[in-house]
Amino acid sequence: MKLAWRNLFRNKRRSFIAGTAIGIGLASLIFVDALIIGMKNNMIRSATASFMGDAQIHAEGFRQTQEVDKTIHKFAELKTQLDEEGIIQHWAPRVTNLAMISSAADVSSINLVGVNPDQEKYLSQVNQSLIQGDFFKGNNERDIVVGQELADTLDVELGDRVVVTAAQAGTGDLSQEMFWISGIFRMHIKEIDSAMVFIRITVAQELFGLGDKIHEIALRFPDPSYGQNQQLNLWDKYSQYGNVAEGWTDIMPQMKAALDLFDFSTYLVALILFGVVALGIINTLFMSLHERMFEFGVLRAVGTKPLGLFRLIVFEAGSLAILSIGIGLILGFVLTYVTSKVGINYTGIEFAGVTFRDLLYPVIKVSQFIEYPLWVFIFTIIAGIYPAVHAARMNPAKAMRRSL
Amino acid sequence: MVDSQDKELIVTENLKKVYSSDGVPVEAVRGIDLTINSGEFSAIVGPSGSGKTTLLNIISGLDNATEGEVWFKGRKLSDMRSSALSDLRRDHIGFIFQAYNLIPVLTVEENIEYIMLLQGISKEERHQRVIEILKEIDLKGFEDRKPLQISGGQQQRVAVARAMVSRPSLILADEPTANLDSKTGESLLDMMRKMNETTGMTFVFSTHDPMVMDKARRLITIKDGRIAEEKIKEGE
Repeated sequence: MKLAWRNLFRNKRRSFIAGTAIGIGLASLIFVDALIIGMKNNMIRSATASFMGDAQIHAEGFRQTQEVDKTIHKFAELKTQLDEEGIIQHWAPRVTNLAMISSAADVSSINLVGVNPDQEKYLSQVNQSLIQGDFFKGNNERDIVVGQELADTLDVELGDRVVVTAAQAGTGDLSQEMFWISGIFRMHIKEIDSAMVFIRITVAQELFGLGDKIHEIALRFPDPSYGQNQQLNLWDKYSQYGNVAEGWTDIMPQMKAALDLFDFSTYLVALILFGVVALGIINTLFMSLHERMFEFGVLRAVGTKPLGLFRLIVFEAGSLAILSIGIGLILGFVLTYVTSKVGINYTGIEFAGVTFRDLLYPVIKVSQFIEYPLWVFIFTIIAGIYPAVHAARMNPAKAMRRSL
Repeated sequence: MVDSQDKELIVTENLKKVYSSDGVPVEAVRGIDLTINSGEFSAIVGPSGSGKTTLLNIISGLDNATEGEVWFKGRKLSDMRSSALSDLRRDHIGFIFQAYNLIPVLTVEENIEYIMLLQGISKEERHQRVIEILKEIDLKGFEDRKPLQISGGQQQRVAVARAMVSRPSLILADEPTANLDSKTGESLLDMMRKMNETTGMTFVFSTHDPMVMDKARRLITIKDGRIAEEKIKEGE
């Protein structure tokens, strides 16, 4: 062991270069993992915090058909239950369906959403994304909040008049209401900025002819990860009476697929990096081996068994791994820590239907500094087996051909 | 019979070795019958390429013979596996090389104790033996130095100490004086001869150094892979 460790520092420059190369591999692995966790969190946050919520309750089939008649059953009972539900931080009722909005200049199809402003502010970020006006200040029932892109399409400004036309539940009769633009928002999400329009929930219920019924309850948990936890009894509890409660992974399966792709990417990156690391180790050990061929011959001559040489090379691989891990941990920590504080600007970029709205902050986890180094160590030892077997099998006389 | 076996340390019978050099067979050893008895101080002499080194490689189990047999203390080397041959060398054979071949990352003490470490000797005993032998080779106080921190002559003395410290039956020395000046070489040879006389350890040199030939009691001359002449000096 002592001999192996000292041999590592025989050619300091080579060991340092090899250690740094492997260390950079490890650091990259730690950083990529932290980045992907940060990216996933950011995507989840962008998707759930902007409007969707961590989970939603609908009437069965509503989400698939968007039929205005499919309203949530026993809403009055649910309200009491939701208020008492410990795991639910906030909830907000919504009425939502397709409609038509027209101004003096143009007309556009929209997704009209009726909201309770007091509850909605905890579920969506529309009020935080306002660039003009207010998010339902006061009690004016004619207030309407639209996205910047839609405002541009309709060529309207704050205070301008628009008319919303929607089909009523039950009869399918068209109903029209006039509104004044009271707020314009920009969330940097094209689908929302160009097609989502907010009015008060009571007005929407009247417009759609729903009475006091609603289409959607958005839920906010203390942690978005609850939304993907299938073990929660909340899903069964609220999937009764013809309702269905679903987490964000069910509501946005494409995002779940994207997150799975991220995990796969991590494995792929790990595989490539480990491949590079393995070649680096094998190359370093073989260079060292060929340089010291005669010395290995001497060691065998004086009675070192083939297994002893094998162990020596494996220990050298282990020593190289320890050096590399030391370098990799320092580089990985510095890189990840700095970027986790400064952030990486991916805002405005859309991926899997989600637009990044915040800076991306890599997430440091203790496991990254334990598991990956452990893998590098194990992998280095495995990579060291090939040159170790080569050393163990060498003919001592051939190795020492120069002399005895 | 028992006495004879005790006396015969190495016996070779019709030893042949054919190498392949770029596909061309090269006969390095062409049928050598040789007996080395315990306590000998012998030299295998001959020009470069005569087969001296190949012969030493084969009798120490470092290389296999193409034909013929080698017996070491009555044990047939061809019947022994690689691991058993390692044990044999570790416990019975000490090597001294032309280029010293100390391990540069180990100190003088660590180089000398290496074989004892393989033998599983305790740390205390290893240290004690190292100190004793360093005193004998006049290198006491050098134990913590690395090989590159001492002279060539001192390195070769350390190599001699490494070969002898485990008290083997046989020391094989390949051109041990080739890299030394004549004074240092002579002093080293005197030291080895003294050890031969006091401990009964067998020494076999491969050399073409006249000084070694002069000190050796038996000269085995090899030419073209065969023993050309054997000479035992009377009265030594």
